[in-house]
Amino acid sequence: MSFLDRIAEGWRKNRKPGYYENFDYHWTMTIDLDQCSGCGACVTACQAENNLPIVGEKAFAKGREVKWLRMEHYWEGEYPDVKLNIIPMLCQHCDNAPCETVCPVSATYHNQDGLNTQIYNRCIGTRSCAVYCPYEVRYFNYNDHTWDSPLDQQLNPDVSVREKGVMEKCTFCIQRVRQAKDAAKDDGRRRVRDGEVQPACVQTCPSQAMAFGDRNDPESKVSQTLDGPRAYRVLDELNTKSSVVYLKKVGTEA
Amino acid sequence: MPNIDRRDFIKLVGAGGVGVGAGVVLRETIRDPREHLIPHVLAPEDYSSGVATWYNSVCTMCKSGCGISVRTREGRAKKIEGNPSHAVNQGGLCALGQAGLQVLYNPDRLTGPLIQSGTRGSDGFNQVTWDAGLGRVASRIDVLKAAGRGDRVALLTHGVGGTLATLFERFAESIGTPRLHHYDYDHPHALYAANHQFFGEQHLPYYDVKNTRYLLSFGADFLSSWLSPVHHSLGFAQSRGGDHARGHLVQIEPRMSLSGAAADEWVPAKTGTEGILALGLAHHIVASGLYRGSDADEWRQVLAGYELEKVAAQTDVSADTLEHLAESFVNKGPSLAIGGDGAANNTNGVDTLVAINALNYLAGNIGRAGGVLFNPEPAGAIPHNRQANFRDMMSLAAAARGDEIEVLIINDTNPVFTMADNPEFAAAMSNVPLIVSLSSFMDETTAIADVVLPSHVYLESWGDAFPEIGVGFSIGAVSQPVVAPLYNTQATGDIVLELAKRTGDTMPWSSMEACVKDNWRAIYEQSDSSTQAESFDTFWTSLLKAGVWGKSNHRDATVTLDKSAIAGVGVQAPEFSGDSADYPFVLQPYLSTMHDGRGANLPWVQELPDPMTSVVYGSWVELNPTTAEELSLVEGDLVNIESPEGSIQAPVLLFPAIRPDVVAMPIGQGHTNYGRYANGRGANPLEILSPLIDEGSGGLASNATRVRILATGDHVDIVKTSGKSRDLGRDIVQTTSGDDHTAQMNNIPITVIPT
Repeated sequence: MSFLDRIAEGWRKNRKPGYYENFDYHWTMTIDLDQCSGCGACVTACQAENNLPIVGEKAFAKGREVKWLRMEHYWEGEYPDVKLNIIPMLCQHCDNAPCETVCPVSATYHNQDGLNTQIYNRCIGTRSCAVYCPYEVRYFNYNDHTWDSPLDQQLNPDVSVREKGVMEKCTFCIQRVRQAKDAAKDDGRRRVRDGEVQPACVQTCPSQAMAFGDRNDPESKVSQTLDGPRAYRVLDELNTKSSVVYLKKVGTEA
Repeated sequence: MPNIDRRDFIKLVGAGGVGVGAGVVLRETIRDPREHLIPHVLAPEDYSSGVATWYNSVCTMCKSGCGISVRTREGRAKKIEGNPSHAVNQGGLCALGQAGLQVLYNPDRLTGPLIQSGTRGSDGFNQVTWDAGLGRVASRIDVLKAAGRGDRVALLTHGVGGTLATLFERFAESIGTPRLHHYDYDHPHALYAANHQFFGEQHLPYYDVKNTRYLLSFGADFLSSWLSPVHHSLGFAQSRGGDHARGHLVQIEPRMSLSGAAADEWVPAKTGTEGILALGLAHHIVASGLYRGSDADEWRQVLAGYELEKVAAQTDVSADTLEHLAESFVNKGPSLAIGGDGAANNTNGVDTLVAINALNYLAGNIGRAGGVLFNPEPAGAIPHNRQANFRDMMSLAAAARGDEIEVLIINDTNPVFTMADNPEFAAAMSNVPLIVSLSSFMDETTAIADVVLPSHVYLESWGDAFPEIGVGFSIGAVSQPVVAPLYNTQATGDIVLELAKRTGDTMPWSSMEACVKDNWRAIYEQSDSSTQAESFDTFWTSLLKAGVWGKSNHRDATVTLDKSAIAGVGVQAPEFSGDSADYPFVLQPYLSTMHDGRGANLPWVQELPDPMTSVVYGSWVELNPTTAEELSLVEGDLVNIESPEGSIQAPVLLFPAIRPDVVAMPIGQGHTNYGRYANGRGANPLEILSPLIDEGSGGLASNATRVRILATGDHVDIVKTSGKSRDLGRDIVQTTSGDDHTAQMNNIPITVIPT
């Protein structure tokens, strides 16, 4: 290989998105739409775990709700041949995240685990990321939110409470990832075992439609389904390389 | 210059230092505690997260009896999760269960005993001591007891089980009153009655959803409200996934529920004709020779008159569909038919559910995996016979009107709200000289009480639970306090014990904890010696740690029906109140995320988008888009929903999956006195229901009221999550054919939890 080729090779390597491949974990979630009933347990679990504010009816009416995880409803057909498709929508933790490139202050970036993270105290609230996000899963704090006492006693001490003017979004329950890593370290293990980290939504799912794990571990539950015929990514044509993989609903002939 | 020597100087500096130090300490303590939360998504390297303490307990937000693990930090409850070892929910938990923390930390909780000093129903509650509150109630009971008129005391509790139920029984006995009622709006009276009539069973059977391959659900919204939704969701997922043919779900109901949305086929039969439809299927099964039992002739007799064409006309479902449902039900087994919610709340509710039992019988689903399995005798009290149906509640009201009741003790149930269709009920209550409420919250019923003795919420109390529909074997769990009581409240059990003591029945337990422990000592002593722990103490400790106890005692049931059971099969056409010309629509009220309204004071539940419509904070009335068009209504138009009984207001919501002759409304909103988050939101559809009763069970036929929709001319914006209701070619939710699914499924390692 000539000197020039080597430079070209190095250049290509640097240009290649996927620097994350060299890191320890690549957290991924799978959601089986054939098993998800859309009951909303995950929505409340997320609210409880991550100190999501109660915005109130007025703010909700203005579209200022903060729900890191929400259910989207799509109707198909007309009565009586009508179907309702429900899909849980949360931050897809894209490896090519449009929100990361647009932030003027680099408040959102990709961490070493493949997570798309938001640094609250760096965020200046331009809301550009929310505009760029094709999944519309970024939420802006239009107000300082308060908790009527003693509701504040429930707040999770492992998660910060966000202030007015700050963008926030699903973290894949990064505090739980950290706790699992700490536990593994205390245990003398280098790696977290599959299933040791469960974000609040995955943990509570009554129909066990969600799974969470490390894609770099070929034995993990998520790796088993990633390349299956039912796996797909929402808005895949945008090449966001998202880390949330859905398993298609199954339609059967009657 | 003052004369300061070295010593004085050091003293001064010291004093100043102490002052500054005190100032810093003071500032730190008065600071908003939120500032101490770690403001990093990525914590610094040297930060280590605190260690949480977990307690296993039981969720009591509904009657399913799911096991929970509560995460606490520094004595505060932070998160509720499902207990993975509990066979009912296996780690899962529904939205209402998750919101239990807001019951504990609700700002509208009652903080101590109250006595009404003004007129009843006014704001004249005064804080009193427990001694004064209990004394007032006990002295009244004492006088009645001494006069031999203990029967003038009535006890009304929500459906309690286990030790607390036994305690209430004993208390009622010691007072000498037969009037002990459990009351839950959503108690499945018709299901009990139908199983008793058809199988002679006292308890509900276990519906083995997880092993079934063809589930025919008649109105039972088993994924969100029917019996034990979390357990059924698990079963549903295991039936669809797993290393086997995918389970097929057919949902038959006039308004698509969450289960209907998950179904492979949704069949909108006319309201109240579900039972007729079931018998149509049964007729086809018998007539086409798919059933070969020795009693086929008797079935043929009883099913005459349910020919497919006839049934098709009555139910508005095509004969072809019926035929294919009947054949699939037998051929694609193991199959299972379940019925409830909408299908059970009609004037023919019990007959409908008996017809569904008959369908299961004809397909051979009784006692086989994936079908109907009978539960063994429960290990603890599940007093269904104490459950008051609508008729019982009305006779309680009549007794109150007739001055037969002098003391009414109400434990955490809200009949003034859920019996809202009967203003006479609340009026009759006002005839009772002393009403005592043991609720933790001010609600519509507590508001008319004279004495309020607020109880601990479930996360602060001892108790136990024996889940009603069970899991096919005996199971039970102890609930333990996970935090110290927040306020000057007492556990319900302790209040009962104290009242008993003050009225001359000193029970052998010092507290509810001792009582629960004693109850479990009996279970321990009865248990098989081979699996017995060394001592009761080790058993008790491991029970509290595990949060669940079970014993593998399956019941084999081969059912032989007697002729009278077969002869009793038959479904009348449903009755409706109101003339169909004046009132063209059937109103279907359904249980929402707030259940029967108890969740309305929890902000998380108020702000949880409805699973089908994504509406928050309010009520709505669901209309088929074509119906709305005929009435020239658009979404958000405020309408009056008028029944022969009265009228309420709600905005129109266009709902594509509802029969054009049906309108539906969620139950739960419309509170007038249930705290800051619930008050003044939406409307309560129960207010306008006609008091039609299902004669078979005595339960309210809540789907039997006809209404008309009248525009008010006003328009409101319905608050819901934004976004398009159609996919518009974006292919967001993708679907595949069944073949791919099988290929995929073979690769997944799954663990099926056997019962």
